Amino acid sequence: MAQQAGLTQQQRIAPDWRAIRLGRGFVTVVVSTLVLLAVCAVFAPSAVSAGGLAGSLPFAAIIAIVGLGQMLVVQQGGFDLSLAGGVSLAVVITTHLSGGNDAALFQSILIAVACALVAGAVNGFLVGVVRLNAIIATIGMNALLYGAVFAVSGGVPRITTPLMAEIAGGKVLGIPHSVLFALVVLVLVSFLLKATVAGRRFEAIGANPLAARAAGLPVRGYQASAYVLAQLLYCLAGVLISGITREPTAFQGDSLLLPSVAVVVLAGTSLLGGRGFPISTVIAAFFLNQLSQFALAVGVPFSAQTIIQALALVFGIGVYSVRFRATATNRATMSNSEETDDV
Amino acid sequence: MSKTLTLSLSLATISLTTALAATTLLAETPSWCGPKQASLALLDGFGGNSWRLVTTASGKEEAAKCPSITQFEYADGQGNTQKAISDINSMAARGINAMVVFGDAGPAVLPALTNAHKAGTIVVPYRVNVGGEEGVNYAKFIGSSFVEDGKSWGNWIKENLPEGGNVLFLSGPAGNSQGLDELKGMKEVLDDKYVFINPEPFAVTNWDPSLTQQVLSAEIAKNDKIDVIVSDFGPSLVGALPVFAEFKRSIPMLATSDGNSLSCFWKQNHEANPDFKLFTVATGNDNARLAVQWAVALATDGTPPADSIFKAPVYEDSVSGTPNPVTCRDDLPGSIYLSAELADDAQAAAVGQ
Repeated sequence: MAQQAGLTQQQRIAPDWRAIRLGRGFVTVVVSTLVLLAVCAVFAPSAVSAGGLAGSLPFAAIIAIVGLGQMLVVQQGGFDLSLAGGVSLAVVITTHLSGGNDAALFQSILIAVACALVAGAVNGFLVGVVRLNAIIATIGMNALLYGAVFAVSGGVPRITTPLMAEIAGGKVLGIPHSVLFALVVLVLVSFLLKATVAGRRFEAIGANPLAARAAGLPVRGYQASAYVLAQLLYCLAGVLISGITREPTAFQGDSLLLPSVAVVVLAGTSLLGGRGFPISTVIAAFFLNQLSQFALAVGVPFSAQTIIQALALVFGIGVYSVRFRATATNRATMSNSEETDDV
Repeated sequence: MSKTLTLSLSLATISLTTALAATTLLAETPSWCGPKQASLALLDGFGGNSWRLVTTASGKEEAAKCPSITQFEYADGQGNTQKAISDINSMAARGINAMVVFGDAGPAVLPALTNAHKAGTIVVPYRVNVGGEEGVNYAKFIGSSFVEDGKSWGNWIKENLPEGGNVLFLSGPAGNSQGLDELKGMKEVLDDKYVFINPEPFAVTNWDPSLTQQVLSAEIAKNDKIDVIVSDFGPSLVGALPVFAEFKRSIPMLATSDGNSLSCFWKQNHEANPDFKLFTVATGNDNARLAVQWAVALATDGTPPADSIFKAPVYEDSVSGTPNPVTCRDDLPGSIYLSAELADDAQAAAVGQ
């Protein structure tokens, strides 16, 4: 009850800026990113040069989009391991079915979206309605999706269409289109989660499904919807990859699963479900990508690059595992906005 | 009367045709194909990319040249070591006489190969070193000379960049022996005037086009001067090379392995990029042919080929035009390899396009 009261009362009028206490996840991610940028500027200036950023930002945008998808599922206390298959399937559908022909691009993207809807609905049904363990259900779905990847592509990469390359790889005022896509997705997800009744219920259900059910909310439907929305975002990421990478492999999603979970954790979303932090998730995606660019620019051996990324994750998880008194606030007093812990 | 005549005439025709066919067959039968009948299996550790599809089709075509091969089987390990091992075991259990194995998992498949060898199967691993010893663990290992590839690249770089310069070398997963061998070959030819600006021993790309793109953009941002890029998987660069345009720099010289998409990319972009010269060695799909020849020779009592190491020939040179100028077939899929012996349209069929 307390939760529902806290979450549905949107009575915040004019914010008192002096009283705002910034959210821990937001502060951690922003501070880490600023520190990283400063370190880059000193030790590896090429990683923050305009050209360097132009080359790496599209990949950060992809991580941000899949990260937002994974966040929705994690908010419901789940895990979506079918991300790799979902992204890869979207990649091969847009490259193979269009066959390098611009005229067939739109239809092939529609087919990719339809596949994502079906995969998400089945995941949602298995986890939300049949109550299967999310890891088991989505791992099965991942295998099915990879079956479809092989059926469509035979595992063979194919060159994308010129139009797709322009849509995903082009630039407006020096900003890569893929980054704009990520920002639009961020605004949409933030708006849905934080400013609509459905979004507030979504978070309430994630925080405590039993209490939500007691309050009369349709828990199963909301949980299932997380998987559908997530698949749609994976599909968008896959379509963008097919434009950013000229000849993407049929397994492009594989390397995205771990980063997607990493950015969700770094942004402070609890793996047990509850509040989501879309803005922090997107900044974390930029942070993670910049970290690998930094390692590449400094020229450390590949082994060290992997270790640096792993340490960043340990740091991220560590920050949230240590509970400070000041932030150990009651859930009921938490704000519904992302950037603050203020009521 | 007429019946007997017809019968004897047709008999004569049949025997004549048979004799003719046999002579033709004998004339075309290669020396590595002996008289003893045998069955052959081609085992792939991972069959899911265009290079493997073309390679498998090449091996199959080679085996078809020998009429003594009565049965041809193929199994794809799908990148799963357990499945690759079980494929080897099941082929041995089915009594296949000879098997040609692409042992992607390396020494992990050696025990299964050894068991098959001990059970009397002719086992010929190729290209990837699986450890073990010839005659003890398998019949014959058909390696590929990556050191030779490195030397070919080194010689071309020396010829076209005599004053020395900055070299960026990209290879696959960290520590892969192919990349190390290629580096060894290059170092034999190139002296200290040539500086390798990548992290030792090579920049890791996992042969993944998207990672290649990220690695290359980081290296371009970091190094103001890259004179030549060396990569052992040319087509994976196609997505990454346009990054040079972001920095308003010309694509530099490129020494790599061939691929139709890469050649077509060169055709489209070399005019806008004055420094973009291209040199390729054959990607080596025909490595499978040499391995098949050996396996068939040993299983059918034929004469084994003279070579036991596959040397990838130099394929394209945009500067000298020898042995070939850059060859782009934009009517065919980008993911085929014109350097392979397999006919272009057969390759297109093999990659399903």
